[in-house]
Amino acid sequence: MSWITRLRGMLRRERLDHDLDEELRSHIEMRAADNLAAGMSPEAARYEAQKRFGNTALLKEDTRNTDIVGWVDVAARDFRYALRMLQRSPGFTAVAVLTLALGIGANTAIFSAINSVLLRPLPYHDPGSLVMVWETNSQHPKPHNTVSPPNFLDWQTRNTAFSDMAYIADVRNNLTGNGDPEEVVVQAVSANFFSVLGVNPLLGTGFTPENGQAGHDNVVILSYGLWKDRFAGDSAIVGKSILLNGKPRAVVGVAPQNFNWFIKDGSLTGAKPRLWSPFVFKQSFHDHKQIGRFLTVAARLKPGVTHAQAQAEMTAIAAQLEHEYPDFDGHWGVNVVPLRQQISGELRPVLLILFGAVAFVLLIACANVSSLLLARAASREREMAIRTAIGASRWRIARQLLMESLLLAVIGGGIGVALTVLGTNALLAASPHNLLDLPSVSIDLRLLTFAAAATLLAGLLFGFLPSYVSAHSQISQTLREGGRGSSTGERRRFARSAFVVAQLSLALVLLAGSGLLIRSFVRLVGVHPGFDTAHLLTFKVSLPQSKYATDKLCMAFFQQLLARIGAVPGVRSVTMENYPPLTGLGAATGVHLLNQPQVALMDLPVANVRVVGPEYFSTMSIPLRVGRLFSEQEMAEEKHVALINQAFADKYLNGVNPLGQKAVIYMKSLAESGNQPSEIIGVVGDVRQMGLDVAAEPTVYWPMPELVYSGMTILVRTSSDPLSVVSAIHNELQQLDREQPMASIATMDQLLADSLSRARFTMLLLGIFAAVALLLAAVGIYGLIAYSVTQRTQELGIRIALGAQRRDVLRLVLRHGTRLTLLGLALGIAAALAITRLLASLLFGISATDPLTFAGVAALLAFVALLACFIPARRATRVDPIVALRYE
Amino acid sequence: MLKPKNDLLQGTLALLVLKTLARGPMHGYGITLHIQQVSEDILRVEEGSLYPALHRMEQDGWVSAEWGMSENNRRARYYRLTAAGRKQLAAEELDWQRLTQAVAHVLKFA
Repeated sequence: MSWITRLRGMLRRERLDHDLDEELRSHIEMRAADNLAAGMSPEAARYEAQKRFGNTALLKEDTRNTDIVGWVDVAARDFRYALRMLQRSPGFTAVAVLTLALGIGANTAIFSAINSVLLRPLPYHDPGSLVMVWETNSQHPKPHNTVSPPNFLDWQTRNTAFSDMAYIADVRNNLTGNGDPEEVVVQAVSANFFSVLGVNPLLGTGFTPENGQAGHDNVVILSYGLWKDRFAGDSAIVGKSILLNGKPRAVVGVAPQNFNWFIKDGSLTGAKPRLWSPFVFKQSFHDHKQIGRFLTVAARLKPGVTHAQAQAEMTAIAAQLEHEYPDFDGHWGVNVVPLRQQISGELRPVLLILFGAVAFVLLIACANVSSLLLARAASREREMAIRTAIGASRWRIARQLLMESLLLAVIGGGIGVALTVLGTNALLAASPHNLLDLPSVSIDLRLLTFAAAATLLAGLLFGFLPSYVSAHSQISQTLREGGRGSSTGERRRFARSAFVVAQLSLALVLLAGSGLLIRSFVRLVGVHPGFDTAHLLTFKVSLPQSKYATDKLCMAFFQQLLARIGAVPGVRSVTMENYPPLTGLGAATGVHLLNQPQVALMDLPVANVRVVGPEYFSTMSIPLRVGRLFSEQEMAEEKHVALINQAFADKYLNGVNPLGQKAVIYMKSLAESGNQPSEIIGVVGDVRQMGLDVAAEPTVYWPMPELVYSGMTILVRTSSDPLSVVSAIHNELQQLDREQPMASIATMDQLLADSLSRARFTMLLLGIFAAVALLLAAVGIYGLIAYSVTQRTQELGIRIALGAQRRDVLRLVLRHGTRLTLLGLALGIAAALAITRLLASLLFGISATDPLTFAGVAALLAFVALLACFIPARRATRVDPIVALRYE
Repeated sequence: MLKPKNDLLQGTLALLVLKTLARGPMHGYGITLHIQQVSEDILRVEEGSLYPALHRMEQDGWVSAEWGMSENNRRARYYRLTAAGRKQLAAEELDWQRLTQAVAHVLKFA
């Protein structure tokens, strides 16, 4: 009810003010008239009437304050006043706004990444109940091992925790017709894949249960990207047919634009799928446990079933299977992982650490602005004292100063958010494509709320102390002392010193963190991958089974291809391998050394198996340690020979001479009789196949004829830029087979850079934040010392007049700065020792409390801080005593 | 806006003003004079408290105000009790009686 009155009041604010003035005037006049009638002189009568009112301005303000109109009015006046004050000192305003924009902008940028990766709902129906189900072997550290189809079938029939389970296997196929041949990643999935995820196709009906039956599986669903790129978004695509590996497949759907499915740990191709087709299990998958582990499994929890319950049940099922099939499932368990955790698992620690780091930067920025405000408040002390003297309440003064702070924060925050939009795109540009998979940063409500909250919090944080101190100053003292040396000044100095110490320690924590990451990165880059990465071109060629049905045909094709590439000008040598190095892709299996006792299949030593082409070791510059390399004969036909790497010899041979040893490599069959033993003919140097940060694993090399792959990675050593020979090589490929695409073209240096991308990205960002922190902390301590030198000009002048040497003055000023710096360093080192432990998982070859790094960053911070003190200290020594003494 | 209950002076001032206005519309100056006279100079209303209190009561809808002419032909703002104000006055009078009785009991007892 009274809101209406107030609203109406707001509309006639002007009149209200006028009414109040007139009402009070009429009151005074009536009183004066009565006084006059009582016999006072006209002047006394008026004076008495006026006096009874006391401070009319205050009274009016009080009366107005009873009204919302008054509140809005006062706030508006505070705002205008604050704006004027900020305009009056543009230097201060610029520094404060910039500092805040930097702090708030950096926070919003990192938050936008967190928002997209950790907070925004996944594009599936009820994503919270989706989980990944992996196998896990107690003998090997890998927590997310792909799943064997027979085990999937057993899980499916025995579990009660999941309402449905789906499987996914990535393959590379050649897409022909409608333009150039293209190699695409196809996800071969169970027919219920889309329904388990709860995703409906954008066009078409998608897979039906019938598509899961043999003979009905020649259908595909296109990804939105493929539909747009290759089929120009043809709205009548459904029902048409496309050629996949030479076979026609009917299009039954197009997936929604935001839909994708890429789980790094389960991907056999390391790339995103472009289309999906049903994968029908062969009868043999149902009949016996033989086939390898290559499926990714996703499942939906039944309503009310928790992740822990599902895990418990699956562990029990795994124990049954282990008991029933010791040869196949020995040591194998099950790991159930919530989908969100699976997807953000790797990024989560990185993002949280970066978020912590930017929060520190914002705190340092706030301390800086707060300190600036305190210094400014000191020079405005007289103004505040006079305002108090004429009746402004403490609350009123505090409110006005807070308004100034909030205004600064809002301007800073606004610029910060604008910077975010630009900055995040820079962030995305700098971030490795496989790390932050964000199309672009959208400014959504959550992001804006965060930015607003950060701004408001920052404003209150840096504005509170200065306004509190100003509001509680002792007026009489201030006026008497002319604003210098008062107890308020004392409090301010203390607060500013505390801020400087806090800034220095926060900066030290960030410096220590980034120092550790830099050192770790340098170590990582210093690791030799085991082969020469320079001038090495890689690409993939996958032959379709329909055309190259036999091993012989595949072998012949690759041999011709290598011969043609070898003749291209600029090519020094060429070879091939079944998987590209450094990408973490590869196959591994049990190896039985015949001089060692037979054990159960699952207890055998495990080795990676790499199949290589001719001149592999010379092309890659992998050294031969013992024995000999593969001969031309062994490259032409199956001779049952193998090479091992140093890690294999060290781990499994215990000093026994490897040459001439026979080993059964369980690659073709699970039965020993199904695999011909291979003779070890030599030992080669280690290659870090899984990435630079993972030590080389025991590896067996087979020449191509031992195990023919239809898809190979071609490795070309060139004499100059590897990319310069791509078109010539493509030409050769086309001449061999016009429908054969060249896929995943990259130089080895690019692959190496990609494998380092996460480490580089984290290091870069934390390094930038640490540099900003260092700069802000330096500005902070500089500001404090410079200010104190200005304040003490007179004292310094007297000291110089009395004979103090420059050295003495310098020491006097520096002593203050040194004390603060040392205190900040001590606190910072203590905090950093506790906090850098969080980085441990991101570090390579260095401890989270590495003393050298800590000493280094402490020295750097001390140097910068003292340099910042030295500038005003030098100015102090130049004080002219005459000028200083006259200065008042 | 709710006023804290224990604010005796504020509450008392409101009671006195409401009681005064119960006799009929009156301007601010008249209210101070009336209270001073009736209380035989014991109670003196400060102008500094009166006007904020009057405006608050107006906001709360206890009184309404309009411009009028005073007895000696001066423009003055006249305050008039509303129905809500009358109710408030009754409530405050009751409160006040309870309070003075309670204080009297305590004084007698001691």
